[in-house]
Amino acid sequence: MNAPSEPRALRRIAVFGGVYSNAHALAATLDDIRARHVDAVFCLGDLGGFGPHPDRVFPLLQAAGVRVIQGNYDQAIALGRADCGCGYTDPRDNHYARISYAYTLARTSSEHRRWMGALPAHRRLRLGEADAVLCHGSPRAIAEFLWESTTPDGLAARLLDDARAQVILCTHSGIKWHRRLPDGRHLVNVGVIGRPENDGTTRVWYTLLTAQPGRELDVEFVPVHYDHEALAREMEAEALPPEFVETVRTGWWTTCLEVLPGRERARGRF
Amino acid sequence: MDAPAPAGRLTLAPPAATVAFRHLTALWVQITGTLCNLQCAHCINASGPREPWLAPLPADLAQRYIAEAAALGVKEIYFTGGEPFMHPEILPLLAFSLERAPTTVLTNGTLIDEAMADALAALAAGARYSLEIRVSLDDPDAARNDAIRGPGAYRRARAAIRRLDARGLLPILTATEMGDAADDRYARLRELLLAAGIRKPRVKMLPMFPVGRMAGRGGGVVTPAMMEGVEPARLQCSESRAVAAGGVYVCPILSGFPEGRVDGATLADTLGPTRLDHPACLVCWQTGSSCRNA
Repeated sequence: MNAPSEPRALRRIAVFGGVYSNAHALAATLDDIRARHVDAVFCLGDLGGFGPHPDRVFPLLQAAGVRVIQGNYDQAIALGRADCGCGYTDPRDNHYARISYAYTLARTSSEHRRWMGALPAHRRLRLGEADAVLCHGSPRAIAEFLWESTTPDGLAARLLDDARAQVILCTHSGIKWHRRLPDGRHLVNVGVIGRPENDGTTRVWYTLLTAQPGRELDVEFVPVHYDHEALAREMEAEALPPEFVETVRTGWWTTCLEVLPGRERARGRF
Repeated sequence: MDAPAPAGRLTLAPPAATVAFRHLTALWVQITGTLCNLQCAHCINASGPREPWLAPLPADLAQRYIAEAAALGVKEIYFTGGEPFMHPEILPLLAFSLERAPTTVLTNGTLIDEAMADALAALAAGARYSLEIRVSLDDPDAARNDAIRGPGAYRRARAAIRRLDARGLLPILTATEMGDAADDRYARLRELLLAAGIRKPRVKMLPMFPVGRMAGRGGGVVTPAMMEGVEPARLQCSESRAVAAGGVYVCPILSGFPEGRVDGATLADTLGPTRLDHPACLVCWQTGSSCRNA
């Protein structure tokens, strides 16, 4: 795996995914992280899609020194691909994905497209004593969905073996979860900050990881409240689909539902 | 007896492309072989109620394959047939599978009565991973559906969907495309579910494959030139294997057919490249369709 490495072991990091053009949530997340005294901040990709004004998130990420890896959305926008490559197979999901993608592609500057095109697909780092791999979907596929109810322990172990790591951090699916394997290795889906996680609340989530000598890796999911109403109004002004705006205001997913396994789908409203 | 379709290989076929194996994402378990209580016109393996041309898979062999797949890091297990609920040990087999990986059953729904729906709900509630039930129903119009699937199939499948939904199991209605692009079957099936009071409608569309009862209707070889620039992941043989009486097969579509069989003493032995030389291969190449849930 050809991935940039951090030169030294890190003790405490903040990691988030799925910004989805939500500059309001990104600013609130970075504010929250500033008070937490972390060694580094990582973003696992998917900077655009869903929200308004895609160019607004880049200055925030760059000013805060966030180390970003490439998501499938970033790869698609950078290359000007025909679609986002999210891997939807359902016609209704693809209908909404196309609207969002066309909007984002048309409004992302060529400078930011170049910047996303140069992002690494993975990163490796030492988190205390552990080797950690950071990826978007999974270490083996940028657009693989890793959901809690459909990621068996055997698969998690296989991914960790293949990545030669004790910790995998991923995003892409939009709902956070953490699996500690019986052998002490970890698979963490860090969640997304761009849209709520289908739990009926408007908050979003990022992840703090803290390594302390001789102790279990601490994985903490941190809720972030942001001005979601401001985001909703901007989305309306940009004539983005009302179904997307409803998700921002209610916390329930209204589209791209068919990729959800039954158990995760059952928790939502639609 | 409903005989298997002829192999369908062309003796003077153009050279076929080969797709590399990536990793084992899905294991398909053809648990009842081709034994089914329905006899659908488009069935990909010509299943039916009379003596099946492919025998059911013994439970101990199914468990051995599932355990091996789990050790290889499989992501999902699928039970298919025939009609899986005709297998006398289906519930313990599902429990065995769910201890190791998320598990899906592809069914016509006709045998899911109140007691079976209760049993499945209990199984799902106690399982670590997702249990998915895919109920086949091809047309929102009862008469048109039953013309394909047999008398009473519509009413019984719809009843199964309601029973499962009432228990929070969120069944996935699975339908086969009939080749009429102007017919928005997906939207009509979704409307059918909403009208039946299903608040979380799930619809999975599959293309028609020229195999089983549809053998000889289209399809063709995928040549090396056609694979240039195509991701191997587009073809499910790069990520799946099926097990049935007779051994291991490249994909669920060719499960049980001699031309889909892969040699190997263990599942791991069969995870090599696949030649795309069956007429059904062209359908996967054209549609990028996967038999998986999503």
